[in-house]
Amino acid sequence: MLLRALLLLFMFFYLTGGTDSWGQKVNKFPKKTDPLHVKVELFDQLMRGNHWNEGAIMQHVIFPPAGLERPIVGSQADCLDPTSEMLAAYSHKYALTKDPKDRDIANQIFEAVLKLEKVTGVPGLVARSFNQTDEPLWHEEVLWYHEWHKSTSLSGYRWLGDLSSDKFTSICYGIGTFWELCADDDYKLKAAGLLDRFMGRVIDDNFKLTDLDGKMTMWGNFCPDLPHQPLNSLKMLMGLKVAHRLTGKERYNAAYHMLIDRYHYDDEQLKAKMLFPAEWRNVGDDYHAARSLYMLMRYEKDRNLLNKYRMSLNRHWEDWKTIDFDWESNIWFIMVYGVLTGEDIWTEERKKAIKDMWGFERQTREFKIPMKGGGTKTVKSEEEGTAAAMIRNYWFGRYYGLIDPKW
Amino acid sequence: MKKYIYALYISLAVAQSALAQPTPPKGMVYVPAGAFIMGSHYGDPDERPQQMAMTNAFFIDKYEVSNAEYAQFDPEFKFPAGKENNAAIVTWHQATAYAKWAKKRLPTEKEWEKAARGTDGRVFPWGNYYDESFVVWDQKTSRGGSIAKPESPYGCFDMAGSVWEWTADWYKPYPDNDTPMEQYGETYKVMRGGSNFNDQALTRTSHRYYLHPEKISRYNVGFRCVKDVE
Repeated sequence: MLLRALLLLFMFFYLTGGTDSWGQKVNKFPKKTDPLHVKVELFDQLMRGNHWNEGAIMQHVIFPPAGLERPIVGSQADCLDPTSEMLAAYSHKYALTKDPKDRDIANQIFEAVLKLEKVTGVPGLVARSFNQTDEPLWHEEVLWYHEWHKSTSLSGYRWLGDLSSDKFTSICYGIGTFWELCADDDYKLKAAGLLDRFMGRVIDDNFKLTDLDGKMTMWGNFCPDLPHQPLNSLKMLMGLKVAHRLTGKERYNAAYHMLIDRYHYDDEQLKAKMLFPAEWRNVGDDYHAARSLYMLMRYEKDRNLLNKYRMSLNRHWEDWKTIDFDWESNIWFIMVYGVLTGEDIWTEERKKAIKDMWGFERQTREFKIPMKGGGTKTVKSEEEGTAAAMIRNYWFGRYYGLIDPKW
Repeated sequence: MKKYIYALYISLAVAQSALAQPTPPKGMVYVPAGAFIMGSHYGDPDERPQQMAMTNAFFIDKYEVSNAEYAQFDPEFKFPAGKENNAAIVTWHQATAYAKWAKKRLPTEKEWEKAARGTDGRVFPWGNYYDESFVVWDQKTSRGGSIAKPESPYGCFDMAGSVWEWTADWYKPYPDNDTPMEQYGETYKVMRGGSNFNDQALTRTSHRYYLHPEKISRYNVGFRCVKDVE
């Protein structure tokens, strides 16, 4: 009798959400003094425990009461960045360990990227993020541009549109790395298929990312007929090179050379790094340039083009060589430069920056939650940032022999 | 002798035109009546077809309405300290209420585009070339604070970049535009001019974007006003 009562009580709390049955929040943080491999392992557990959204990785998580146990609530505009970082991390890790568990995790993350396409209902249109929910969630209104849609292809899902050129870079970099280092034959086909649909749609739209409404997205401009950033010329050349490598389709090679021969994207990309005035230098943009150059310079064989990409890398290095390691991606720029050039640039300060890599602190702050009847309610909650770049940096460094396993 | 007659004739014509041009109210510039090239053939489908459009003469604010100016109308309006001269970010209804208070109104799409690009169909208010030094960075720089300080053909500042700007119009298709858009109708208002936080192509003079008049979410949208010439 007592057992039945307890069971009923459990069912009540479970169904009403009053239980902590989803409360699988991982709480174990490393200490700053822990060895690097311990810090990476613990942050990996935190990321996969608290940020895992059906394989997609949340960049930011707000815990209850402002957030929800499921679906997870947080900023979602940039989820493709940590998702691609974790996909690359596990691809590099698998390439080292050959452990099927690592490959399985990478496969699950890749499946989430596939789901980001499936949820939009349009082949090749990839969402920024998704949530399994029938109803709009409060953060949709306030944490980013309201570009949320109810999915017509996946019942019970909502998705965030308006993909940007930065997320374009994440997709090409993440999937390209997965295909190269981790995917088995079946997944290679799936990865090539996804990139084919994605890049095919971009080319069909004259090198623009377009949304459901047919308009170019807020940051989706690689178009030769429109003024666009030199950095976007670099990103597009990278995307086409990766698409050609994965699919083998001549279409992407032809588009790559058309943009170079007719529109001089190879010259435009030389200015991807804005060096002067110094206050306009943007390390956020450098991250997209670093990922693009990393993929492009390893795949390109033409000496003249390689020379131009190296010039672009050199312009970035002008800033990176004295950069402060105040952001977890900064040290990755140095790693990329070292891998691409083979130069010995490993000073003690840079090695220390790698050993000191850190993920995030859990913080508490107040959130202004919009109420249905108007007005807002202030709720204090814990939140977490992301450690995906740190985890990727570690396995990238291990793969290229830049990081000692004992560190 | 003939060339002096021509010079005299031209001088008189210019003087007459200057005399005919009414003096704009303080902080506004004059845009003459007439035709101009509206829309584009290379941008989003909703910018098409490119067409010749007409406006009456009107005055338009040289700058976007600032935080300090808006606060004169609504003392409850809050903005960060030190940002008095930055563009105000408001809903469409707030913008409309301010314009009414100032005995002005919001520009139509036609008026906005003509004031931004003049009559020659240029891509940006200053011409067809983009440079970061031509625009203010979103709301971080005060109005007119770009490095190059380019004016539109009629003397307006920040019609590319800075904040988006509300127009009076609902988001509807141009005549002969047959691209289906479920957003067309009387749900969204048109905003123009782009925000430099977004891609530079959105700061083109012909670019259109739609936004709910009340739910502006995280969009940085402000406005400038127009006034009819009596």
